[in-house]
Amino acid sequence: MITHQDSMHILLADDDEDDRTFFNEALQELKMNNKLTLFKDGKELMDYLEQPDIKLPHVLFLDLNMPGKTGIDCLKEIRANVRFKEVSIAIYSTSSSEKDIEDTFIEGANIYIKKPNDFSKLKEIIKEVVNMNWQFHTSGLNIETFFFSI
Amino acid sequence: MKLNFNYDGNIACRTILQEQFERLDIKYLLLDLGQIEIVDDVSEERLAELQNNLDKYGIQIVNNPKGKLIQKIKDAIIEIVYEKDKFPNVNISQYLADKLNFRYGYITNVFSEYTHTSIENFIIIQKIERAKKLIIQEELTLTEISHELNYSSVAHLSTQFKKVTGLTPSMFKRIIGRRRELSNND
Amino acid sequence: MKILRLFKNSQVFKIALAVAILVVCYLATEFYSQMKKLDSTVELIANSNETQLELEKLLSVISIYETSLRSYIITKDETYIENRFLSRGKIEEAIKKLKTLTTNNSIRNKDIDSLKNLIDYRFKLFRQTLIIAKSKSKSENLNRLELNAKLLESSEVTDKMKSFVNKIIFSESIKAKSQNNNHQFELQDSIITAFLLVILSLLILLLSFQKMNVDIDELQKANDKLKLLNESYNSAEKTAGFGHWMVNTETNQYTFSDNLYRLMGVEPNVFEPNIENTIKYIHPDDLDYVTKVHLDSLLNHQPTSMIFRFLTPNGDVKYIMGVGSFTTNSNGDLIKIGVNYDITNQYQKTLELENNNKELKYINTELEAFNNIVSHDLQEPLRKIQMFISRLEEKELDLLSGQGKEYFLKIRASANKMQTLLIDLVDYSRTIKGDKVFVETDLNKILEETLQDLSTNIEEKKAEIQVGNLPTIKAIPFQIKQLFINLISNSLKYSKEDSIPEIKITSGKITEKEQRDYKIANKEDYYKIVITDNGIGFKQEYSEKIFLLFKRLNTDPKYSGTGLGLAICHRVVDNHKGFIKVIGKPDIGAKFYIFIPKGDLL
Repeated sequence: MITHQDSMHILLADDDEDDRTFFNEALQELKMNNKLTLFKDGKELMDYLEQPDIKLPHVLFLDLNMPGKTGIDCLKEIRANVRFKEVSIAIYSTSSSEKDIEDTFIEGANIYIKKPNDFSKLKEIIKEVVNMNWQFHTSGLNIETFFFSI
Repeated sequence: MKLNFNYDGNIACRTILQEQFERLDIKYLLLDLGQIEIVDDVSEERLAELQNNLDKYGIQIVNNPKGKLIQKIKDAIIEIVYEKDKFPNVNISQYLADKLNFRYGYITNVFSEYTHTSIENFIIIQKIERAKKLIIQEELTLTEISHELNYSSVAHLSTQFKKVTGLTPSMFKRIIGRRRELSNND
Repeated sequence: MKILRLFKNSQVFKIALAVAILVVCYLATEFYSQMKKLDSTVELIANSNETQLELEKLLSVISIYETSLRSYIITKDETYIENRFLSRGKIEEAIKKLKTLTTNNSIRNKDIDSLKNLIDYRFKLFRQTLIIAKSKSKSENLNRLELNAKLLESSEVTDKMKSFVNKIIFSESIKAKSQNNNHQFELQDSIITAFLLVILSLLILLLSFQKMNVDIDELQKANDKLKLLNESYNSAEKTAGFGHWMVNTETNQYTFSDNLYRLMGVEPNVFEPNIENTIKYIHPDDLDYVTKVHLDSLLNHQPTSMIFRFLTPNGDVKYIMGVGSFTTNSNGDLIKIGVNYDITNQYQKTLELENNNKELKYINTELEAFNNIVSHDLQEPLRKIQMFISRLEEKELDLLSGQGKEYFLKIRASANKMQTLLIDLVDYSRTIKGDKVFVETDLNKILEETLQDLSTNIEEKKAEIQVGNLPTIKAIPFQIKQLFINLISNSLKYSKEDSIPEIKITSGKITEKEQRDYKIANKEDYYKIVITDNGIGFKQEYSEKIFLLFKRLNTDPKYSGTGLGLAICHRVVDNHKGFIKVIGKPDIGAKFYIFIPKGDLL
């Protein structure tokens, strides 16, 4: 359980190397003292999560368009597992169609992020998402109704 | 068979605490603002055991004074939001200052230092959280909900709802509805 | 003309003819009776004359006898009285004749009887006289006295007779005269009657002839028309590709029209029309079905409708639509009439259409896939470019020379431009392919959402937005939102630098002028929504051009745009079966008119 904002455990699954790099660099420049783990596809992510002794992440960023296991597949799997009930899932995607947003929320995502095309914007977004997530966790809010779309 | 539940977290928490105290045979007194006074002296080990048991419920024993204050502030705000009728025309800053016996300036500083967000923001988050609960309960219309939460109009509520969540209330309702459908079909 | 029309009416004519014939019959009867009368009159006259003649004859005989007697008395020559019995005979004859002549006239008959009596008495007197004359006895004086007395009596009786006869003769002659007069009149009458008869008969003849002529003419015309109709019907059948047939259910006699034969691919009347011969021309796969339906209908007298194929001798397949129904002819027989219609063209066209449709669907799917590429796969690399540009800008821009910085900024601008273009393209394609589901849409809500979405932009430009009451219409919500967003962002974008942008969105009734200008048939049929701004405006001559794809009026870099915004607006209004017009005034502003038809037209 979270005690303070420091050292949030963040996961990111994205098949695009550049996007992983951007995300990492943005997080580093934010100096928020978080731990970031990167995965390059859905399978890697799920393999990691299935390990019994891992420390549960606070937020998981999921890209939708991944080869093999897509973001939606991972989302469904994770949400089917009670163990990850308290993990906020943020969809990190290029699509901005309302339908996609709704669908991911319906499948159990909490946050939806449209990948920005500017680095500073990316930093802003990550900051807000992490903040929002922390607010939500520390305010006794209900994860089932936690939604944040940006 | 699927069942839906309405619950009040506060009551649940308090019951858990009471059960835990009873189990560990610790005598206590329930105070408001989330405070419980333990009558006897309790050893470090007992406290650790208590904390251990409470961990799985997500309940923390707040130790530091600032943390305590923060908790009080949060509880006070939650109370105001959820029991609007008790506080018809409250000026929140005034009320907090009075209730917690500190200058409002000090309160806000501590709050933002610790939570990295303003009290206003916290209030808004809580209000929207309640709005979500009310929307899910489907007992009140949006107009009634906006009134209950002290918004001047439905538009005002919708705007703030969208700012906080990125969704409109109707989208939110729809998503929740479809989530339920989905889980019903499983 | 009315009379003529009446004349042509055969009913009237029949009645007139009957009347005329009756009149003729009547006249003929009249004529006949007149002739008869004439006849009898002539007879009467003849009779009268003869009576007179006989009476005269009688008188003369008696006179002669008297004279003979006198002569004897004087001369005592027996030769004078030799013939007295002869004369008597003659007289008797004459009396008989007279009796016969006067049989019809009772008065005259009685007269003759009286005359006979007189004559008998006279003859008695003759005898007496004769006896006296003949007797030599007695004294001459006594003889002579007796004789004179007798002679006197005789002559008295003779005078009586004569005057009597003369009376008769006179009355007879008067009778004869009057009869003559009658005769004249009757002759005249009968001439007139005869004349009338002839005239009337002639008239009837002429009129009948005329009527016959007219009737024949009409018949001829009708016949001609019928022939023509028949001809044109046959041609029509040929042109339209259908043939008809009939079967008399009582006599089982089939009739085929010429074109029906042609439909089967043969010359007309090449075979006897019946089922057996026709079977050869029906496609074997359809044979059972067709014969069953037809034969069933002959039993249950229900109309039929079916599609089947003819197989012509040279192998062509014709798709035929056959319909049949029942009626009765003038004899009361039940007739089945059928029309066979060549729908091969339509059938083929339908097949073609279906094929086209399939192809179109395929093309559509391809386009959609292409669209996906455009909307997602193109945007990805672009996003990367922009991300790296922003990274470079942050970290390494200072390392570039002045020129390098300039180039860099241009790269960034181009990349941004490309992104806007891609977004607009996606929007545009969504208006084409997107869900075309029409729902009741409250335009006020859509406008509210639009204004919220554009809120930052609106605040930035400090724009004043005036909102009127908009109607709720049947529409595609996301498209209408796109429409509003594009128009209002345009108004914001092309606002004048030095003044506060004022944008009005209102709805209202269509004015007379608008009705004329935009050729709207009925003002009540359309909703009108107007978006007005006080921006830089444009020249009215471009009012149609600006809605074209990729057409930009203003290429001043100050105003960035892709040229798609208004094309999308046009597309959206099009999708709602409406139209969009604009009035632009340079440096004053622009007014966009959106006309969307009300429910029933959609």
